[in-house]
Amino acid sequence: MKFQLFQLDSSTGFLDRNGCLHMAEELISRVRASGQPLAVLWLDLDRFRQINESFGHLGGDNVIALISKRIRDKLGNRAEIGHVGADEFVCLVPSAGLAEAERFADELMRIIEPEVDLGGLRYRPTASIGIAMLGPDDDAFVLLERADRAKIAAKRQGGNCHVVSGTEPLPGLMGSMLVREELEIENKLHIALEGGGLQLHYQPIIGPGGKIQAVEALMRCSSNGENISPVKFIPVAEKTGLIVRLGEWSLLQGARFARHMSNMGLPTKTAINVSRSQLVNAKFSQALHAALICANVQPDLIELELTESLFMDISDTVQNNLREARDLGIGLAIDDFGTGYSCLANLKDIPATKLKLDRAFVIVLPEDRRAMAVVKAMTQLGKELGMIVVAEGAETEAQVDALTEAGVDYIQGYFYAKPMDEVALVSWLRERNKL
Amino acid sequence: MSVLEESPLIAGMLVDTLRDIGIPPCPAILNRINVEMGREEPDFNQVASVIASDVGLAAGLISLANSPYYGLRKRVRSVNEALMMLGLSSTSRAIAGLVLHKIFPATPTLTRFWSASARIAMLSGWLAQRLEGCRVNPEDAYSFGLFRDAGIAVLINRFPEYIDLLSRANEESPLSFTAVEEAALPTNHAVVGCLLAQGWWLPEEICLAIRFHHEYPPSAPQNKTILSLIAISQLSEHLLQYHTCLSKTGEWVKAQAFCLEQLDLTVQGLESLYQASEPIVAI
Repeated sequence: MKFQLFQLDSSTGFLDRNGCLHMAEELISRVRASGQPLAVLWLDLDRFRQINESFGHLGGDNVIALISKRIRDKLGNRAEIGHVGADEFVCLVPSAGLAEAERFADELMRIIEPEVDLGGLRYRPTASIGIAMLGPDDDAFVLLERADRAKIAAKRQGGNCHVVSGTEPLPGLMGSMLVREELEIENKLHIALEGGGLQLHYQPIIGPGGKIQAVEALMRCSSNGENISPVKFIPVAEKTGLIVRLGEWSLLQGARFARHMSNMGLPTKTAINVSRSQLVNAKFSQALHAALICANVQPDLIELELTESLFMDISDTVQNNLREARDLGIGLAIDDFGTGYSCLANLKDIPATKLKLDRAFVIVLPEDRRAMAVVKAMTQLGKELGMIVVAEGAETEAQVDALTEAGVDYIQGYFYAKPMDEVALVSWLRERNKL
Repeated sequence: MSVLEESPLIAGMLVDTLRDIGIPPCPAILNRINVEMGREEPDFNQVASVIASDVGLAAGLISLANSPYYGLRKRVRSVNEALMMLGLSSTSRAIAGLVLHKIFPATPTLTRFWSASARIAMLSGWLAQRLEGCRVNPEDAYSFGLFRDAGIAVLINRFPEYIDLLSRANEESPLSFTAVEEAALPTNHAVVGCLLAQGWWLPEEICLAIRFHHEYPPSAPQNKTILSLIAISQLSEHLLQYHTCLSKTGEWVKAQAFCLEQLDLTVQGLESLYQASEPIVAI
């Protein structure tokens, strides 16, 4: 009955775009009166354009007719359905809460999924589905638009999935697509960058005899008094490109710290993390020189720690940048070695002076004998290549003993010292020197 | 510990010279103001006592607040009054400018250089208010003018031969200013200035504008604020040189078309600015 009040799509018998909007308006006023929820699902078939291109529009039309029939037969009595674009459907599901809407989406996927025979070739339909729940301020247009945007987000995630509106990636300040939590972190990073919310903490790297080889500068970020964990902000900074600014900020601050320590009679080599995004830029060394000039520091007091993501692709530019740094006398450390993208083959391409074994090998010591064998082998390899070998993440005496037995040169970890701010580190060093 | 008890340390950090510690990461006094600005209810008295602990800074702030640039009706007589009239944000920017000069040795070359920067900053702030097509915050334009060439001061201080390089880069050359620098140095003043500004917590757009201010159009993200900041400051420098007839550079020849387009300015519009800007330059 209702269908006849609204415009229908002639090929499928479903509501057309305009009909859908009117139906949504009517349902909204109805559920608002009864206090019931309302869900909208926007479905877009994946790879449909390829079908149209390969099999012509007739082939495409047949697929749409078949899928429309599947949806109508199985779900037609539970939702108002619209055909709103060549390969796009909208389901308005009254009284459905979020959990039910997600179940409905899964059901939709299953219903459309059986293979379709296209003149001998088999096509298995999948879809990207956006879900929007009626919010207190939504009108029909806003509600449908939100479902559409969530659908686009599902498509961006590679399709064959659903995304609920409100959790989809949004354009961030730097133009990247971010989910809501990342967006908040990006905002906080900007506030920190402009409000003095960044700080470097320093963790000593110590040899068995107590000699300090260097300190690693680790970034800390706080925004309006709230600390944000590096585990959270570093990935967002990488995604948005802010990592370059954070990296350059660290370069200058770390270099200045090295100079400051040397002035105080506590010369301390400072290891500064540089990201892949910085090193793939041909102008990296300009920024490096600028930091050295501003800090007025000897390059041999600086080490660059290369994150393992750098090894995804070591281009000529990266190699040139690293060579130039080496020529200046700056040390190069390969961080998190043994996991992710870092591999033995990379060692020959990077003029590194230090190999830092990933903490994953350390935390299972001394019980895990296989890990111990790997640590020993990597240590030997590093030494053969003329590098200093450092193990990260040592927390217990037993781990330190095992690492010493394995032959690593230096150890970094809570067992010796936590990362400290500049003032705490200076008193820590002075305290040690007294002993 | 009260701020006053801390103040000898703060004052001490300000008088450390470049030769000893390089460029300060961010002067303690700016950090204090930033911390106070970040609070829900900033305590003006705290900020005022930090500033007042350094006589030179206090005097600089008061005389700046009384300059025609801010156009205050009432004459300011104390740091507290300056703070009340300018607000924390303007004060923080003004202090950054004053501190920036203070950390460099007062050689005749650098004194001339800072005086030009201060005028370019004021002209930039004035232009940002005056030009209709430009949606840049005058305070940002002012800060950008002050910091834009801070890298030059750093390089002059570190490399005695940089002054010769500077005059070569200033001459009319088919190469960009920074390309002339890069032929002789491993870096250029725009990159140095950008890092310095980042360390002093200047807004991102200002930092990027510093980095690309000799490129027309800049290879920075095509952000209208960045483009306008660059255009305003190059126009300000041109106006300054027009009035003072001093140290004319070839830069305007390279920048003119870009600047006029960015600021939606005709040649007639430019002519009218020559006259109107005279009192600002005279400050």
